[in-house]
Amino acid sequence: MKLEIKGLSFSFGDKKVLKDVTFDVEPGEFIGLMGPNGSGKTTLLRCIMNYLNPPADSVLLDGVSTNTQSSEDLARTFAVVPQSSSTDFTFSAYDIVMMGRLPHRSSRFAGPTMEDAAAVQEAMERTDTWKYATRRFFALSGGERQRVIIARAVAQRPKALLLDEPTVYLDINGQLEVMDLIKTLNKEQGITVISVLHDVNLAARYCDKIALLSNGWLEAYGSPVAVLNPDTIQSVYGVDVVVRKDPFTNAVYVMPHSSLAAGPRHGRRVHLLCGGGVGGPFMKSLLDAGFGVSTGVLNVLDSDFENARDLRIPTVAELPFSAISESAFRDNIALVRDSEFVVLSPFPVGPGNLKNVEAAKQAAAMGKRVIVVRPEEGRGIDFVGGRADEIVKELISSGAIPVKDMADMLREISRGVA
Amino acid sequence: MSLSRPDTEDEGVDFAKVMRRRLVWLVLLVVGLVASAFVAVLVGTLGPIGPGDPEYISFEEAFGAIFHGQGDLPDYYANVFWEVRIPRVLLAAAVGAALACAGTAMQAVFRNPMADPFIVGVSSGASLGAVVASLTGLASIAVLGALMTPTLAFASALLTVFVVYYLGVVGGKVYVNTLLLSGVAVAAFLGAMVSLLIYFAGQQYHRIIFWMLGSLSMASWTAVIVVVLAAVLGIVLVYISSRDLNALLLGEETAHNLGVDAEGLKTLMLVVAAVMTAAAVAFTGVIGFVGLIIPHMLRLVVGADHRILVPAATLSGAIFLIWADTVARAVIAPTELPVGIITALCGGPFFLYLLRRNRILGDAL
Repeated sequence: MKLEIKGLSFSFGDKKVLKDVTFDVEPGEFIGLMGPNGSGKTTLLRCIMNYLNPPADSVLLDGVSTNTQSSEDLARTFAVVPQSSSTDFTFSAYDIVMMGRLPHRSSRFAGPTMEDAAAVQEAMERTDTWKYATRRFFALSGGERQRVIIARAVAQRPKALLLDEPTVYLDINGQLEVMDLIKTLNKEQGITVISVLHDVNLAARYCDKIALLSNGWLEAYGSPVAVLNPDTIQSVYGVDVVVRKDPFTNAVYVMPHSSLAAGPRHGRRVHLLCGGGVGGPFMKSLLDAGFGVSTGVLNVLDSDFENARDLRIPTVAELPFSAISESAFRDNIALVRDSEFVVLSPFPVGPGNLKNVEAAKQAAAMGKRVIVVRPEEGRGIDFVGGRADEIVKELISSGAIPVKDMADMLREISRGVA
Repeated sequence: MSLSRPDTEDEGVDFAKVMRRRLVWLVLLVVGLVASAFVAVLVGTLGPIGPGDPEYISFEEAFGAIFHGQGDLPDYYANVFWEVRIPRVLLAAAVGAALACAGTAMQAVFRNPMADPFIVGVSSGASLGAVVASLTGLASIAVLGALMTPTLAFASALLTVFVVYYLGVVGGKVYVNTLLLSGVAVAAFLGAMVSLLIYFAGQQYHRIIFWMLGSLSMASWTAVIVVVLAAVLGIVLVYISSRDLNALLLGEETAHNLGVDAEGLKTLMLVVAAVMTAAAVAFTGVIGFVGLIIPHMLRLVVGADHRILVPAATLSGAIFLIWADTVARAVIAPTELPVGIITALCGGPFFLYLLRRNRILGDAL
């Protein structure tokens, strides 16, 4: 089954909800429909299903416009799983799944056949819902109910599943269970999946392609890696995100922040000496407090290097796993010179990055206000036989301000600014 | 589908067992209906069962009058059975069946437990027609007069439904919530007009009130034929839409997604229910409660699947109204109570009992 959406526009009265949306879905693909609330995702699904009537020839199924097909024909091609389903009426889970056989009846008047019964049992066993077959549908939990609805979709023997945020009311376990089930159906039976998803990371993990809608326009369509980049997400959702890779699945992993680069609100600059991932919270809190932040020297691949890159902080970089070179050190000192404050964060110090501690000493010598963050004496972050601790002691005795944590650091700097 | 809880978790569903259970229910109800009708015919002031006052006759004599025509009894004995009692029981059965079936369909279309056959204004429309017929004297015209009230009631009921339906349809789509509220508003408006007419009706008001509470005392073979025709047609159409109605209970979008033509189904059900109800009400006045309570009761007993619910509710509606009418004419014989009072008095408490019991059991029946 090949689905083509061709120049699809749709309006509710004067309100244009879909604007010239065009994309193709190949057989067996797993497509995530994403976009902010009100961007037209559900409307798009309803147009595909012909529940809302799209303009002629804007939704084509194997080249045939869906307008010309009856709802029964469409129901043999598509099975829909809504966000949640409820009914006050006393249907058993079995009854609900049996409804998936409606589009396959031989005539309007035909009752269920043994073939239908077999299809229902198979679908329920597949989705692990056979054990609730006789239970009341409305007495099941949200996750159980959603699995029953998926069983109904399976019993429908569709070529494609259309899902509208199938996991939105489920807990984490339920979410993964349902998504894994859908993925299995997709992989094993080659059922095409088109699913509205809100959770970017769920989408990145399960989808082959993502269609990103914004205000009715199709903003981007392609692989998760191509679509889920910070710039696109910023322009569609208006939030800053950090995009990393999930260390175990290699899927794109998106971390949203309300605003990342708040930008300096006052001209004050802070140079942060960090490494090994210790610096991330410092960078963020200094940016949030309105300071201009720079950092260095950081090895490429160091997590603080990635933090700084994602926050777009000027950084002096060194080759991966290499000791800080003389030239990098000089560049670092140059950034120190441009700053008013220098913060020495409690990062682990080894022979390769001892120069970053020495940079603090130079800063003090240049008359910069140096703040030393030391949670406790001898926390074991000195891997150079006490030389780093020694420098720190000297710094403090020569007027650097010792603080015990990040909050104190911010307070100290703010006092210095005022 | 009505299912009992399996003893072990993986017992699953025994398809054949479910079908067998349904068949047993239907057979029981059919037997119950025939037996009820038979007994009800024998109950009355002239009959072997019941008040027996002023005239008691034995079973033998009653059967003689029914099956052999005259026998050695006076002529009017046979007439009492063939012209009064039997059409009355048949009419009760047909009206009860029509109301229960229409109520089942309306509850599915509106997905609202308070829906009944009168939800789109049938009762208020019919009442207005009947009141007008009485007050204008149309009902008193010789020969034609007896049919004037039903005709006017039927016509004005359908007209009302048409107006309500028109108000509830926007751009070819039937919006059930709009329809429901239009029904309420139109019913209130027509109800006020009926009240106004009653206020000025003078001595006639007693007759009108009696009509509005519903009574089978106007039963005739004409009424039986008309109502049976409408009921059979309606019941067949509702029954063959059973699986579609099941899907509709999950919402219109879900029904559409399962391949059901939801708009067509809603319109068909509204028309069918309106015609059935209007035909019934035209001859009997407004008999409340049957169309609301019987579908609920049977849903609690046989489950929500319309393939069993529609026939079961229809048969039960017929049985229920036969007995309600029998009680109505027996309790204060030789006069009678409006049957609508009996339906509410009996049905209410029993329904509450079922409702409570079911909440406590809390499993699929």
